[in-house]
This record gives sequence, C-alpha cells and structure tokens, in this order.
Amino acid sequence: MDSYLEKLPSMVDAIRAIKEIIIANIVLIGQTPSPTFKEEKRTRIFMERLSEAQVDECTTDAYGNPIGIIRGTSDAKPPIFVVAHLDTFFGEDVDHNFTVKKRTITGPGILDNSAGVGVMASLPQILRVLGIRLRSDIVLVGDIQSIGKGNLRGIRNLLKTWPTPIRGAVCIEGGELGRLNYYSDGMRRCEITCSIPPTFRWTRKFRPNAILILHEVIDQILKLCLPQKPRARVIIGMIRGGVEHGEIAQDAVLGFEIQSDADKMVKSIYRDIKDIKNGISHEHEVELQLRTISNLNAARLGFKHPLVKSATEILKKLELKPVSVSSETELSIFLYYKIPAVTIGITRGDNYHLEDAFIKIEPMYKGIAQLIGILMAIDSGVCDEQ
Amino acid sequence: MGRLVAEKQKKKVSISLCLPTLNEAKTIAKEIVIMKSELMTRYPLLDEIVVVDSGSTDRTREIAREYGADVYEAANILPQMGQFRGKGENLWKALFITRGDIIVYLDADIKNIHHRFVYALVAPLLLYDGIKYCKAFYDRPIAAGKNIVRPTGGGRVTELVIRPLFSLFFPELTQIIQPLSGEYAGFRDVLEKIPFPIGYGIETSMILDIYERWGLDVMAQVDLEKRVHRNQDTKALGRMAFVILNTFARRIEKQGFIKLNKQTFSEMIQYNLVKSRYQADIFKIQGVERPPMIDVPEYREKFNIC
Repeated sequence: MDSYLEKLPSMVDAIRAIKEIIIANIVLIGQTPSPTFKEEKRTRIFMERLSEAQVDECTTDAYGNPIGIIRGTSDAKPPIFVVAHLDTFFGEDVDHNFTVKKRTITGPGILDNSAGVGVMASLPQILRVLGIRLRSDIVLVGDIQSIGKGNLRGIRNLLKTWPTPIRGAVCIEGGELGRLNYYSDGMRRCEITCSIPPTFRWTRKFRPNAILILHEVIDQILKLCLPQKPRARVIIGMIRGGVEHGEIAQDAVLGFEIQSDADKMVKSIYRDIKDIKNGISHEHEVELQLRTISNLNAARLGFKHPLVKSATEILKKLELKPVSVSSETELSIFLYYKIPAVTIGITRGDNYHLEDAFIKIEPMYKGIAQLIGILMAIDSGVCDEQ
Repeated sequence: MGRLVAEKQKKKVSISLCLPTLNEAKTIAKEIVIMKSELMTRYPLLDEIVVVDSGSTDRTREIAREYGADVYEAANILPQMGQFRGKGENLWKALFITRGDIIVYLDADIKNIHHRFVYALVAPLLLYDGIKYCKAFYDRPIAAGKNIVRPTGGGRVTELVIRPLFSLFFPELTQIIQPLSGEYAGFRDVLEKIPFPIGYGIETSMILDIYERWGLDVMAQVDLEKRVHRNQDTKALGRMAFVILNTFARRIEKQGFIKLNKQTFSEMIQYNLVKSRYQADIFKIQGVERPPMIDVPEYREKFNIC
C-alpha cells in the first residue's frame, strides 16, 4: 500500500494536466437534464462519453443502468465497482446550461451528482494518463432511480442480478471532499397526507383545517421519547398544503424520515407514528394516509475494516481530514449485500440543491486522486480478507 | 470524427478556431474547455484555439488563457493599420494571427456550446472538394432570464430585414436558412480575398462577396440543432438592422442593382421614454471596411505570398 500512497500527491498534478477532459465531461453530462425516472437522455450521453473514452465494454443492464467496464489484467479477481447516481433533483424545464469560470463550475445538480458522474466518465482516461491498470475489472455504473422516490431502485436491481462476486465498491458524490462514509443508518421515509372531504363544508360548523391537523401530528411526533442508544431521530423535512391565505386548507402533506442505527428502532418509531396518525384520524374524523416512500436497512463496515483504514490513510496523505457520518446512498445497498464499500466526495462547493449550485475546480484533482488511491487499495486486497 | 480527422490528415490541412470576444467571461471558458477536450485532446481536429478580444473589462482574457487558448487583443494586431471596435474587425485580424488553412468562427456567447458546432461546420469543407465556405443554422431558443429558456424566437433581423432583401435581389440566397448566424467556417484562400466590414455587417457582406465571386455552389449550410443565446432588445436589433442595410446597400450598388444619386446618412436616432419625456439616442455607423487581408503587405510577407 505504501508504494501508491507515496505516489498520490504527484497524481494530483497529472490529473490537473487533463482538466479539460474532466470539465468537459462534467459539463456535457450535467447539462443534460436527468430527473428521477427520466434519466434516458443522460444515460445516452453518459454512454457516449464512456464510449469516447474507449472503455472495453459499454452497455446497460436489464433495468436500464448504464455500465462501462475497464478490463483488468486478471480473470481471477472479482470486479471493483465505481458508482455515481445519474438522477438529479431538477426537472427538464430548468435551464441546465452550466457556467465555467476560472475556479468554479456552476449549474443545477452539479454537486448532486453531475460532478461525480463526469469524473467517473473521465476515469478511463485518467487511469491511462497515470499509467494504472488494475488486476480487477473496474465496473463504472451510473445508476438510475436513486434519489427520493427512486429509492435506490437502480442499484438494488443491478446488485440483485449481478452474476459474479464483487470485490469492493466506491460510491462517488460531487461533494463534499473529505467525507468518508462507511455506514448507513436504517431509514424509513414517509408521507402523511390529510384530505378534508368537501362535504365537511356543509355538515359542520367548524371545518377541520388540513394544515392544523398535520400540525397536531408533528406535535405528537415531537413528544415521542427517542432513545440515545440505539441512536434514533425523526426529521420533519417537508410540509405543503392549502391554496390561499383566506381559505381553510383542505389538503396538506407532511414528509418525514425516521433514522436510526438499529432497524428495530426504525420499525418501532414507525409503529408509534402510525398510532399517532390513527388516533388523530379518529378524534378529528378526518382521513389521514401514511405512506412509505423509501426505506433502507442499517449496515456498516467497522472503522477497523481494512478498506476504511486504507481510505483514511489515503485521505490523510492528500492532507484531507476524513469526516464520517452515516450515508443513506448506494453504500447502503452494497453493505446490505456484504460488499465492502465507501462513499467519498469529489470536491467542495455550495448551494447544494439550488439552481446556482457550484463546485470548486482545484480541490477536485485531490478528490480524484483519492478515488484512484482507494481503487488501488481495493485492488491490493484490502477487501479480500473478510 | 475519426473520418474527419483522417480526411484532414490526408488533405494536409490545418484548422484554426477563432472566438471573437467582448466581455464574455461567463461563456468563454466552457467553449474553450469543450473544444480543447473533444477536438484537440480526444480527436486532433483543431490545431489551435485563438481568442481575439476587443478590450474586455471583465476577466475574459484571463479566463481564456487559463484554459489554454491563445489570446490576443485586437488592438495589438497590425497596430499600424489602426484599430476599430467590432466583431468584423476581430475576425479580419484573426486571419493575420491564425495559422490554419481552414478558419472556424464561433460567437463566444453560446450557452449550450457543444463540439458539434465546430465539427459540423468543418465536415463539408473536408469531405466535399467544391465547398469553400460553410454556414450554420439552428433552432434559436432564447435565454429570457435566469433559468428561463423560451423555446422559439430570435432571428428577427433575419426575417424582417435580410430575407426580404435577399428575396428582392438574390433569391438564390434565400436558401440560406440563417444568413446572420455567427458560426461559420471557410478556407483561408477564400476569406483572405474578401473585405471585412468592422461591425455587424460582416455576416451579410461575407455571403454576398463569396456569392458574387465564387457562386452558391461553394457554400454549404449545416444544422447545429439548437443554439441558446442571450436575447437582445429591439433597439439593439434596430441598430444591427441599420448596419446591415448599409452594408447591403453598398453591395447592391456595387453590383449595379441600384444607383444611389445621393450620399446616404450614417446616423440613426432611437428614442427612449425617460420620466415621461422622449430622449433621443443617436447611433452612428462607422462604415469602415477592412480590405481583403491578402492586400495587406504584412500578411503577404508573413504567409510568403508573392
């Protein structure tokens, strides 16, 4: 491991030397809108970029995830996966034209996750420039239907049907450089919908207000006693409802997420919230619907896992301070299948989910060197000893 | 792309991309990065990317240099011949500083830039022996505001001025779908032999002069699908139309279509409503045309033309 650790700082300069290839990939991919469930155009562009980069194979799986394969030197070693989700939060009607300046690239979805996908599409050329050929095949996956209601469907389907063992995986996100995620909390993302039937207008003097009903739901959720161990929390993340200022709201929706490092606790809190919902529905004589949008099981690698230790060393060698929090991304699915994996960030930036999100260009070169380092660590066997 | 590169090598021609700029810090980097990545590093189609700047006050030149373009200030090229501000001036001076046998001109404010803007323009010149000049056409959605793109629009001067004029005097030229598009490519041995108006009239004069001297058969046009650009207000388009009409009038007089018995005027007055009062805004045409570059002694010396 020490041999490539020493080479990492010099890799940064070599990567910077082909910056136009990397930036062009980020821009050409990122300017193609790719809202969840409508990733076809970006899939096509991503495959074009892989093909231009002369990957050894380029295809889609049965579910529609685009895949490129860089062949390794050994048939005996299982492949290493590099994954970046293809979908973004922005609709096709948003202007996706990016602005490139001396130090930044700005555009909707660049941090989540066009920069990640663009870097992944550049990987074949980066490896060629660095003169690196791994023993394992590298499988580059731009998974679809990942975020929000996508519920990681793309990667779930890919891993469910992948025919061979997988040696290890690196999930890449545009930001934030320094993140090193190796565990995922259990998670259940839900919506409670309150709809007041129109008949209430005529039959009751005091009509219920959908927003106030949901306010009551929130109030009772906040009164839940959540344990310190296992860690658990409920995030109230989204609320919308009503039509105008002077009219009692007939419809409202509450979005929340239950998170815990124990799946049992997620289930228990979900049951509590279901009881709250049923109670309020009964007492206020209104219809409340509780719907699960997505869920994940808790999974983790230990901090002592050789992959985590190696990744930590790699980040430190590049003078990056590793920051570890739970990550409910593709990582969860790899860990669920007992495949050692980490999630890393490629660069720094801001305005994450705004239309003027931007990345800084210079830190990206370290972010890419970090990715190469982790791939080399996996190829050297850090995931093979479990 | 492989075929284009092979054809370029077979014909032993070199290709220069020229980007004329004036305060294009927002868009210039993207154009250079994509062209350099796709058409220099990945496929060796372009031999150089040259920015000719009219004295930008933003960071256009600094950014262009950062991304590897050769950057020139128009005022420093052939300084003994004086300096004028205008796109045509930059394109004319680009002939002096570029090396290519083919020169591709692209506006530097294209928001949806893609390398097809270059390879599509170059393809007819490389693949068809008779073609000497190639012009772009496209759908023109307008960036109407922050993150708002209107699906149609643009091309108003084309439809209100150029197309009626072409229909009256040169009906064959109405086949050109977007005669005012700012994206075109041509062989040096054609471009060096025509005069260049310094401003907006350059696209019109170029078509008319090439048509007069070499005919329509040397021209091609290619579909670039879509070009998103900044919208210009009606007054700016009015000034553009004024310059183009002036250029056109000179050409049709020279070719004997009309005879102007009196000198035309070089000023246009536009009005702005300011606090309930109309204020006159006077726009003056400079009316300068640069001579064919081949007539410039320094050029002949540089390119060893006897």
